[in-house]
Amino acid sequence: MAKWTRLQLAAALMLGLAGPAMADQTTTETDRATVPVMTALGRRELPAQPQKIVVLDIAAVDTLAALEVPIAGLPSRLYVDYLDKQQAEAAPMGTLFEPDFEAIAGLAPDLIVAGGRSSRQVEALSEIAPTIDMTIWGASHVDLALSRLRSYGALMGRGEAATALETAFLAKLEATRAAVDGRGRALIVMTNGPKVTTYGAQSRFGWLHDALNLPEAVIEQPEAPSGDAAEAATHGEAISFEYIAQANPDWLIVIDRASAIGQDNQAAAATLDNALVTGTEAWKKGQVIYLDSAAIYIAGGGIQAMTATLEQIRAGFAPGG
Amino acid sequence: MAEATGSISGLGRPGRSARGAICLCLFVLMLLAGLSCVIGVNQTSPLALLQDPEAAQLLLISRIPRTLAVILTGATMAVAGVIMQLLVRNRFVEPGTTGTNEAAMLGLLGATLLAPALPIFTKMLCAAVAALLGTLVFLALARRIPPQQPLLVPLVGLVYGGILAAAAGFIAFQADLLQYLAIWMSGEFSGVLSGRYELLWLAGLLAGLAYLVADQFTIAGLGEMASRGLGLRYGQVLGFGVVVVSLVSALVIVTVGVLPFVGLVVPNLVSRIMGDNLRDSLPVVAATGAGLLLICDMLGRLLRAPYEIPAGTVFGLFGAALFLVMLLRRPAHG
Repeated sequence: MAKWTRLQLAAALMLGLAGPAMADQTTTETDRATVPVMTALGRRELPAQPQKIVVLDIAAVDTLAALEVPIAGLPSRLYVDYLDKQQAEAAPMGTLFEPDFEAIAGLAPDLIVAGGRSSRQVEALSEIAPTIDMTIWGASHVDLALSRLRSYGALMGRGEAATALETAFLAKLEATRAAVDGRGRALIVMTNGPKVTTYGAQSRFGWLHDALNLPEAVIEQPEAPSGDAAEAATHGEAISFEYIAQANPDWLIVIDRASAIGQDNQAAAATLDNALVTGTEAWKKGQVIYLDSAAIYIAGGGIQAMTATLEQIRAGFAPGG
Repeated sequence: MAEATGSISGLGRPGRSARGAICLCLFVLMLLAGLSCVIGVNQTSPLALLQDPEAAQLLLISRIPRTLAVILTGATMAVAGVIMQLLVRNRFVEPGTTGTNEAAMLGLLGATLLAPALPIFTKMLCAAVAALLGTLVFLALARRIPPQQPLLVPLVGLVYGGILAAAAGFIAFQADLLQYLAIWMSGEFSGVLSGRYELLWLAGLLAGLAYLVADQFTIAGLGEMASRGLGLRYGQVLGFGVVVVSLVSALVIVTVGVLPFVGLVVPNLVSRIMGDNLRDSLPVVAATGAGLLLICDMLGRLLRAPYEIPAGTVFGLFGAALFLVMLLRRPAHG
């Protein structure tokens, strides 16, 4: 894996160095011009405006849909209803975690966009068509997401649309930041059936704390184990309701995982509605914000999803809202 | 021997030494339960817990129900294990190695897929019926295994459970429910609150009923021929045992999830010390199961405080080690 990426890097570098020498050829054949794309595995040079693309990462589908890029192949279930149109127009390519390699090969795409849940398949997919890993993960979530947006804009020849989306997003971010400023500490929890996990500033939802300067409601403790394990980053730390009572957040931001994956038999509100949680400041003041879990959990990092999440938080923090 | 025969018909009383052991176990269990009630995220002193009305509420809503849930789960799983072992006449089985748990999972999955709106009690019933069927199939399989090959029984059980688990996994994969399945596969008590564990009392009731017919189970453990010769209605006892094991497994899975090894390790541990007269040993089995699970749950609460490690994970590690030690050290007699 590591060797392969180094090889790719070397190839990209060589292409880059050889670029000036071949300048004449590339300028005459516009359709074969390459564009630099920042992927999770480093910088790649890719032919601009691929015609037939397969997208296996929902955040990528989200952003490409916002850029109005047609998509030829998608996972058979996206779980996100605002992408129904894309879903209906694309051919099914297996599931999020397990792409259907035969279907993808049959489609013969010019480019495969993988990432997140399908990032483990990138190497295998590369044998079918050029594949980029566009995973959005880690501390600088918003920066990465915006970098992906710019890359898609450049790659698909929709730079202006990308810039417009970025501007709108940054305005939304600024408005939300102003709305949460000085309103108290928040705790992000995810309900999973009857159980609850929490997400700290280092976790996959930590960008809400970071990007919004939203203080975290945590329990003082000698050593902070949060964020030190992979599990903490993906599915959070298991906590008891007593933890929520003790952390006593001013705001409770709730993600219902079961509803995100299409199970709504035990709603988050029912799980949380118990004497320990109802005693917190957040519950007493009605400051519990239920996020659209599909947007933040499934499509997290997509430009539409991030904008929608910010809008939900802004509306939740709006006085009287 | 005279005591055993005397107690077949009615309610016998445990022997004197057994009574001492039962008292000791209950005492230790009480201590552990008290400890469990003062361990939590909110680290106020035990005294303050009783004086402060808010803390008293915490006790009533969270700590006491959780402690009770752990005790009920540990006790009933251990009892289910011992009954299973006597019925199959094999020391190496428990609901986790006979396909009972996997069958319950299949039932739960089926109910979730076909009728997601069903209330939890009906889903539990589906899981219990599936567990019952799964256990009966295992018993039919175990019957065909020659008694000279005792290790074949748990092996067949593991293979059978594996097949059922594979079926559940396949269905869950097709329906995109794999991660949903995982919620039930790890047994833990972090979600337990007053009003969210009470189904476990049903399991406790079943274990209590099992104690009423403890002598019959003891005799059934001698084998079908011997127990029929002694005038036991073997079929009835077998049927009742299977119902208890299946219902207890289903109840525990639906409320807290799968807890491996409890039903395997605890009966073996107690049987080493006290023998197999259930009238004597069943209360000790129940108390030991409850106590060990309590320790694991408390460790789970303490090791990464204020976060939690599932009690099932702690018991899995601990139980596997204990079981290996018992396997490698030959029993004192037999």
